[in-house]
Amino acid sequence: MLESLAEFAIQGIVLGGLYALFAVGLTLIFGVLDVINVAHGEFFAIGGYLAFATIVVLHWPGAAGVAGAAVGTFLLGLGVYPLLLAPLKRRLGARPRGPLYLVLTLGLSTFLQSSLLAAAGGDYLRVPPYAGGVLDLSFTAVSHQRLLVLVVSIVLLGGLFLFLRFHREGLAVRAVAQNPDAAQAMGINLPRVFALTLALGVGLAGAGGALMAPLFNVYPTVGFPLTIKAFAITILGGMGNLAGALVASFLISLAEAFSVMLIPSEWQNAIAFAVMIVMLLLRPSGLLGGGGRR
Amino acid sequence: MLRVADVRSGYGKLEILQSVSLAVGEGEIVGLIGPNGAGKSTLLKTAFGYLAPFAGEVALEGRPLVGLRPDQVVRLGVGYVAQAGGLFADMTVHENLLLGGYALRSSREARAAVDDLYARFPLFAARRRQPAGSLSGGEQRILAVARALAVRPRLLLLDEPSAALAPRFIADVYDTIRALNGGGIAMLIVEQNVEAILAVAHRVFVLDLGRNAFDGTPAELRASDRIRRLYLGEDEG
Amino acid sequence: MIARVRVIAVPAALVVAALLPALIPHPFVLTLATQAMVWALLAASWDLLSGYTGQVSFGHAGFFALGAYAAATATKHADLSPWLGLVFAALVAALVGGLAGFPALRLRGHYLALVTLGLAEIVRLVAQNWLELTGGPFGIHDYRTFPGLPAAPLAHRQARYVIVVAIVAASVVAMRALCERTPAGKAFRAIREDEVLAEMLGIRTTVYKLLAFVVSSAFAGLAGALYAYDVQLVSPSVASAATTSFVIGMAVFGGLGTVWGPVLGALLLFGLSEGLRFIGVVYNLIAVGLVIMIFVVFVPRGLAGGRRTA
Repeated sequence: MLESLAEFAIQGIVLGGLYALFAVGLTLIFGVLDVINVAHGEFFAIGGYLAFATIVVLHWPGAAGVAGAAVGTFLLGLGVYPLLLAPLKRRLGARPRGPLYLVLTLGLSTFLQSSLLAAAGGDYLRVPPYAGGVLDLSFTAVSHQRLLVLVVSIVLLGGLFLFLRFHREGLAVRAVAQNPDAAQAMGINLPRVFALTLALGVGLAGAGGALMAPLFNVYPTVGFPLTIKAFAITILGGMGNLAGALVASFLISLAEAFSVMLIPSEWQNAIAFAVMIVMLLLRPSGLLGGGGRR
Repeated sequence: MLRVADVRSGYGKLEILQSVSLAVGEGEIVGLIGPNGAGKSTLLKTAFGYLAPFAGEVALEGRPLVGLRPDQVVRLGVGYVAQAGGLFADMTVHENLLLGGYALRSSREARAAVDDLYARFPLFAARRRQPAGSLSGGEQRILAVARALAVRPRLLLLDEPSAALAPRFIADVYDTIRALNGGGIAMLIVEQNVEAILAVAHRVFVLDLGRNAFDGTPAELRASDRIRRLYLGEDEG
Repeated sequence: MIARVRVIAVPAALVVAALLPALIPHPFVLTLATQAMVWALLAASWDLLSGYTGQVSFGHAGFFALGAYAAATATKHADLSPWLGLVFAALVAALVGGLAGFPALRLRGHYLALVTLGLAEIVRLVAQNWLELTGGPFGIHDYRTFPGLPAAPLAHRQARYVIVVAIVAASVVAMRALCERTPAGKAFRAIREDEVLAEMLGIRTTVYKLLAFVVSSAFAGLAGALYAYDVQLVSPSVASAATTSFVIGMAVFGGLGTVWGPVLGALLLFGLSEGLRFIGVVYNLIAVGLVIMIFVVFVPRGLAGGRRTA
């Protein structure tokens, strides 16, 4: 009993690292651009495909593949704001029409998903583990691949927090999230920060997709369920609240992992939504309060 | 150094400024007063690039500003302090000042500029790790002005620096303004507090319903019966 | 110009739609045309809530699936007449829509979209996992369709088409009338344009938002039931986000906030998508994604040229 508890906890923590990588990027984009990126999961999928292309097809080492996936999705993400969101913003002017941005990124999600299907087919592509072997903790065992996911997630998130805390562009990102008008008066170029933030967020998702490729396999819709789950996490943590998203990621992943003891595993995926709906009824601003400016 | 000529401007289709002209000379403090809704803040936002004028010209030392975004105008040596200060309330005093130096070439220059500011405003050096929102109202206003100084602007646009402040804080803020002007910085100040601005301004423009209603020195303003009756009534009471 | 086109085009389209079984007596064409009509109803129901009232739903796949499963299971397990099944499906969808809408409508914009997306996902998970009732991943089949139809394949197809067209047309006319000729329609538009202002003008926004939610989900459920009785197979995939995306694409294509624009958009986009299947089965969704992006950004009024954008 105790052993399986420990095993569930470890599973939950590893999954939580992945959720955090994904959801922190999503909530960062929301906090800065006031746009919910429905296509976030597709960048996760693209990261997986890039890992497959570089590692399986080009025989790059695993680390290079993951880095390539992160950089590739980052570069793709750089185009999303200027090509897609900025034209809509120009048309709408100052009118607050947030829902239209949702519809727009839903269109992007559908487009990317089906383009991946057209380009790579619907097969489940296998990527070999980047790290073989198993860590034996005597009471339970964890595969090195899972540990790697957790460690890299922590490193990337740590890097993000350091960037936001100390780097001048990171300060600019936070300034824009708090008060875009005042940020502009500091000399901050808003379109540039918007593009950069979106690219950072989806780059994290892409890195996550590459990291998880050996555990999830790679197929066009691999990221979408994660997007929906990340919405629940984002609401739980407070929209736009990075620390909240981090905490909520682990709460949800642990709840899912331990739920296996109480309910059939096929219902595991419903937990996040149940939590989301209860949360919205009781405390719509999130566990730690909304960090969003609106 | 700043010239605004026949500017029409507003929000969306709503025209607030119908035709306004003014000028700020080298090293001058210019006050901009008038009743609520006269378009004073609109003028400041138009000059700084937040709003694009429907017509007219804005020029800094002969260089046209229309079409530039605020982040570009800052780089030409113009600072802007928004009505409530526009501080990043959840960020620390230090981070706010560093962001003030964002337009400088490198983060090293920005850090050096912030160190200079700490020397001039020792109060903030002691509170550098505190969230800006935790300072008192007067301190926040002075921090907002200090932050705008990091890039060494030659012209400051101040939107109601005394708004919602207790009288002793207003005095502090205006002491700072006077000191800065002594260092050669020109200023265009929108004010509701007429006495405060008349005490420091070299010239005053009065706006009413989106048009110029008067311009001259504070002494001329006080001498004008028409303007005094219209706008200074309570101050002369 | 557009108004004049509308005067001629709408009645002409209705006449063509009504006469289609006689004009093109071909089972395959009629099958596709029937499905297009079901999509048209779903797109119009989405538009009532999201285009007219400005409350963007990402969960219409869920209401559609609820209606489809309610109709199919009631007819299969309780032998409910398909005619009553249509009503039952609409009621079930309206009930769930109302229950979900009640808390969700206190929330604005972003939240509503996320909650409805989560709701659709819950419907999908239930459909996939409640094997006894829904047949799980393989779906539910082997239940009867509308009674008393001719047995000959072509005549059967023609009759089914006529039934669906009649119900869809009546529903669309009813929704259009609700939006254009009643105080509720005025309230819907006021909420879309400025909810705070609407409230200050004395419009009970919560009541009207809930009304839009319930009516919209009822018609989405009705569309689901028509789908169930026409296709004779309901599987969890109808509740997938791709369904919602398709519907939103149709509405954006046709023009938001017009009810009949999304009908037009549905017929055209469904036609386009079926046509693209001949080139390759994946290209239809690429087209949907492109249509959404291009029309949201560059052609906000859609093909129908509606008065305002949502």
